[in-house]
Amino acid sequence: MPKNIKGREIAEIIPDKCIACQLCIGECPINAIDMQGGAVRIDPEACAGCGRCLDVCPANAILFEKPVRKKMTGIGQKPHPLEGYRGIAVFIEAHDGTGAEVSWELVGKARELAEKLETQVLGFLPGTDVEPVAREAIAYGCDTVYMVDNPLLQKYLSRMYGRALAHMCNQVKPEILLVGATSLGRDLASVVATQLETGLTADCTGLDINPQERLLLMTRPTFGGNIMATILCRNHRPQMSTVRPKVMKLPKKDTGRRGEIRTFDLETSQEVVQVPRIIDFIPRAAEVGGVDITRAEVLVVIGKGACDPRHLPMFEELAMLMGGTVACSRPVVQSGLLPHIRQVGQTGKTVAPKVYIGVAVSGAVQHLVGMQGAEKIVAINIARQAPLVQIADYALIGDYREIIPKLIKGIESRIKVIR
Amino acid sequence: MHIICCVKQVPDTTQVKIDPATNTLVRTGVESICNPYDLVAAEAAVQLVEKYGGKVTVISMGPPQAESVLRECLALGAHEAILLSDRAFGGADTLATSYTLSQAISRIAAKDPVHLVICGKQAVDGDTGQTGPGIATRLGFNQFTYVSEIMGVDPERNTITVKREIEGGAEVIEGKLPALLTAELELSTIRYASLPELVRSLRQTVRVWGAKELGGLPERLGLKGSPTSVKEIFAPPVRGGGLVFDSGQNSERVVKDFLDTFFEKEKRLLDGLLTKDGHAQEH
Repeated sequence: MPKNIKGREIAEIIPDKCIACQLCIGECPINAIDMQGGAVRIDPEACAGCGRCLDVCPANAILFEKPVRKKMTGIGQKPHPLEGYRGIAVFIEAHDGTGAEVSWELVGKARELAEKLETQVLGFLPGTDVEPVAREAIAYGCDTVYMVDNPLLQKYLSRMYGRALAHMCNQVKPEILLVGATSLGRDLASVVATQLETGLTADCTGLDINPQERLLLMTRPTFGGNIMATILCRNHRPQMSTVRPKVMKLPKKDTGRRGEIRTFDLETSQEVVQVPRIIDFIPRAAEVGGVDITRAEVLVVIGKGACDPRHLPMFEELAMLMGGTVACSRPVVQSGLLPHIRQVGQTGKTVAPKVYIGVAVSGAVQHLVGMQGAEKIVAINIARQAPLVQIADYALIGDYREIIPKLIKGIESRIKVIR
Repeated sequence: MHIICCVKQVPDTTQVKIDPATNTLVRTGVESICNPYDLVAAEAAVQLVEKYGGKVTVISMGPPQAESVLRECLALGAHEAILLSDRAFGGADTLATSYTLSQAISRIAAKDPVHLVICGKQAVDGDTGQTGPGIATRLGFNQFTYVSEIMGVDPERNTITVKREIEGGAEVIEGKLPALLTAELELSTIRYASLPELVRSLRQTVRVWGAKELGGLPERLGLKGSPTSVKEIFAPPVRGGGLVFDSGQNSERVVKDFLDTFFEKEKRLLDGLLTKDGHAQEH
């Protein structure tokens, strides 16, 4: 162990492991830790050798050996009275009398988690004329659906919906609240978490349970998808998480399932007059035409290396042939060849097609996090070491301009046989 | 009109890579930049003030070196900059961050009423998009997320009309000020700072506020005010590689090999896909 001038055993940062999360900076009682040029540094002369930084470091980036490792106490908030919080709630997002698919995916996940906690799955459903949706929620796996049915909830307004959902949480006290990470869901979840002063973890790709402590283990990509972090919310309830569409599997609907529907009133005050007014809705032209890459069963995904307008018809032909559509990676959108709605990846859409065919897609992590759910991955690339080639079920190494015409021919003749 | 922009200094995530040998982040050479969405927000604020009059104050919570992102916003034409920097703010999750920022905004507003707050829709390092709505909720402002266009401000009626990008289209919505917007990249096109503005941005003083200046409850700040904590961090899981067909000299042959294998191994999957859309089922 290194020592400083005062002879104290001090902590050191391992720069390679440090992720610059700065937790240790906040934790150091004597302000001996600093950020310097993207990495954290401990001032050896100031360090008192308490080892608190070691305890908070999530990346094991601190080199320190405590003579006797004491468990920290008194860190963080006062323990919240967590008793009495039971059940896994799912916010059910409803549009025009139907529930959003992501809500059912989360109900499916909630059932799985509820088994581990031996508890119930609850649906939280604010909206207008949403009773049919409540029955659908039961069919997908909710035990009890709590409904706030009010004309003021006809259209989504952050504050109205926020109040309705926070009110349900305060009354029902679920230990977990899951929200689909649609634009509506992300907006709403942030409002509710702030009102309830609880923790919220966005865009989780994995959810699990620690049954002893009844903790939700929330795993999400961070740093632009370069690392995965598992987040906990120890002392506050509900533990809140948003999950993107298509990340969890859609459960089977069972119209014979039984459950209970309960109704809450929406507390409204004079400020109702002050609520924002939705003037217009402009459907996105391309989406009117039915292009939704998240629903396609086959995707031909164009990467930077195939970003050539002359070959677009060829990609479209391949996609059509297999009953799919064309999507792309981020550089292709930046080049202007395809619109953003066709982009797969962290800043685009998360997709889970049955067959994903990547054409000259190198496979940056930001792209991979958006397509890991694909059932079968085919990579066509000239570079064998491309990350997508590494994870593909089938890799075709070579020039796509030579390969794809042959693929099209070959598939055409095989389709004739199948039919 | 007084507009506040909240900006964040982030590592340039497009440069961050994982060392495959050690599974650790390669940080060398990774620069700190201003979160792109926040720059768009600052530019939009400056444009609004150019049109309707008023001033733009930019604030950022971060270490002392985050001052550079504030100067970047000053160069775009923002009028004042305040850095919220204190060790007590360190380790904050989005709940503690929105608390600190809303405390700062309340303090600024006490002297100079705030009509509008503009944030980026999310920061590229965390991608949560939670801080903006958190601030609006704490301040009791109307909140409009994912704004791609500010269609107008009506000073008489004290309202703002914006276009928001949501599932399936765009929503045009009007609400009372004060309000908080979160910016999509389309909200504005960032100008090239003029030389005089650049010089001004470098000369101007950036005030620094710590926990003492902000007031509020110390247990709500930084790590202590953060309900979430990181349990562990790991490299993304790798999907095992599969079969490799190297087209080499004879692509005709290799493509045939591939298709033979593909159609044999994935027969069930492909039969289901290729016989859809009213095509006759197999025999």
